[in-house]
Amino acid sequence: MNTSFAKQSPGGKIFDVCNVILLLVFGVLVFYPFINLLALSLNDGVDALKGGIYIWPRKLSLSAYLYLFQDSRLLSSLTISVMRVIIGTTTCVLSTGLLAYIVTVKHFSGRKMMRIVFIITIYFSGGLIPTYLVFLSLGLTNTFNVYWIPAMFNATWMLYMASYMESIPDSLFESARIDGASELGIFVRIAMPVCIPVFASIAVFSSVSHWNYWLDTVIYNSSGNWDTLPIYLKRMLLEVEALEQLRNPQALSERMRDLSPTTLRAAVTMLVTLPIFFVYPIMQRYFIGGITLGAVKG
Amino acid sequence: MESAMHELDALGTKAKKTKLQLIKRRFYRERQLWFLCIPILFFIFVMQYIPIFGDVIAFMNYIPGQSIWSSEWVGLQHFKTFFESPDFPIIMRNTLAISGLNILFGFPAPIILALLLNELRSKPLRKFVQSTSYLPYFLSWVVVASIAFLLFGNEGVLNEFLQRFGIIKQPISFLGDGGKYYWGILTSLSVWKNVGWNSIIYLSAITSVDPELYDAGKVDGLGRFKSIWHITLPSIRPTIVVLWILSMGNIFSAGLEAPLLIGNAQTRDYSEVIDTYVFKYGLELGNYSFATAIELVKGIIAVSLVFAANRFTKKVMDTSIY
Repeated sequence: MNTSFAKQSPGGKIFDVCNVILLLVFGVLVFYPFINLLALSLNDGVDALKGGIYIWPRKLSLSAYLYLFQDSRLLSSLTISVMRVIIGTTTCVLSTGLLAYIVTVKHFSGRKMMRIVFIITIYFSGGLIPTYLVFLSLGLTNTFNVYWIPAMFNATWMLYMASYMESIPDSLFESARIDGASELGIFVRIAMPVCIPVFASIAVFSSVSHWNYWLDTVIYNSSGNWDTLPIYLKRMLLEVEALEQLRNPQALSERMRDLSPTTLRAAVTMLVTLPIFFVYPIMQRYFIGGITLGAVKG
Repeated sequence: MESAMHELDALGTKAKKTKLQLIKRRFYRERQLWFLCIPILFFIFVMQYIPIFGDVIAFMNYIPGQSIWSSEWVGLQHFKTFFESPDFPIIMRNTLAISGLNILFGFPAPIILALLLNELRSKPLRKFVQSTSYLPYFLSWVVVASIAFLLFGNEGVLNEFLQRFGIIKQPISFLGDGGKYYWGILTSLSVWKNVGWNSIIYLSAITSVDPELYDAGKVDGLGRFKSIWHITLPSIRPTIVVLWILSMGNIFSAGLEAPLLIGNAQTRDYSEVIDTYVFKYGLELGNYSFATAIELVKGIIAVSLVFAANRFTKKVMDTSIY
């Protein structure tokens, strides 16, 4: 693969050039929509209606963002989203990590059984309606709890974490056990600090999925009391009334007359996307290892 | 004779006792771990296993608010209603078309991307393209839908572009218009969202190909294309086969997120799929038993397709997932 360029045949060189062009076009196709969104969200709303904004905002204006940050519904969905990410990620990482620790304790007779019980849930799950009925009878519907409680134990992530923990020499845990440490103590004081990389990568995965997911709001929290940011965006996209409400004349000061649905939508989309952009570099450090590990373990 | 029997009996009970004691002692020694496991097991039983058993309401006439135990058993009536309903052929067509298109384009795309990325000589460029490629995977479907509205809407970028170059006079309603463009848009969006992420697994398979094979190929006069075809592709065949078998399980799930966001009343003839139908009849109309029956059909077909695909590849290509 790493032979020098000079050795290439003419056919090989043509191939290389085509390949570079093809992949650059692909890269632009993937990235361009975000540039367009950013340009639109920073443009004057009325001016944006004329179209023709591709890469740069034509008439720079921050009014879409200014308006959004005065909208109480946006602020409340933003708060709920942030709370969901914080509470959901913490509980998920701690409980899935504990589970992974339990299934890696070598002398524990129940470890295989625990593994199987969870692996089954990867392949079989109850239908939409039975799950809804169970959640309903548990009193999870119309609560914030439905966001984090069902997501606490994740079987796939348990497997990632367990295979990482298995690579740690057993003597580390065993010596603590001989010193009389409790299992929970060993998990908190030894397993967690030693396995920081895998805990961090699962934390990133979990927070991204908590930030993005919206179907559970539609299914379990349709009252609108627990709207998250993606749901706010969904309402803006699909519900005409939501946009009308946004343009409530009382809420619009003189300065805010230059708004349009397009720029508002673009601005909200950017708000949902930006946090992912920020954690993206951190994510990349971890997840490639994670997915290839999963591939090896099958 | 009798005493011998007694002795044997005694030995047996003694052995049993010690075995029981051993188990007891083992439990005692592992009590801390078991105490942690019990709530976890209880949790997973309630959250994941009870809903699986709850699928039996597909064979009942379950009425919301009523107890499952007092519901009337109706056998396969809901399945029959579904198969005989006029919606059935349309839903099946849409589901199969959308998931089929997804496999047709979404399955080879990451393989091709991985092969092309692997051939890139410039490391920084390779890293740049690769890290951009899986960005969309980490975005919410709502964001993807918003992008779709922006690009394909009536005043969207695509319409503007086509009008500016005089290809069309009137804007085309890509997202409406009776759903003519719906399958195409949905397929391109999901390929766009997943291609980069799915290519990672192939790229890591490619890096484990023995470099000596390429050198040997070069000696034999293999060009770039030929060495991809004769060395790289056969080397990653097991990965391709395993992922193909697994993708068979998805042939009846066209997804719920994308159709709920991008489908609308205008596109219904093309966008109504099993998942949206279950959602509509179950959650919106409260036909719990009927919806569960439809979902069960989907699940059973998915499992049997994976088995069939596995069997096929085992026979033809000698690779299988179990």
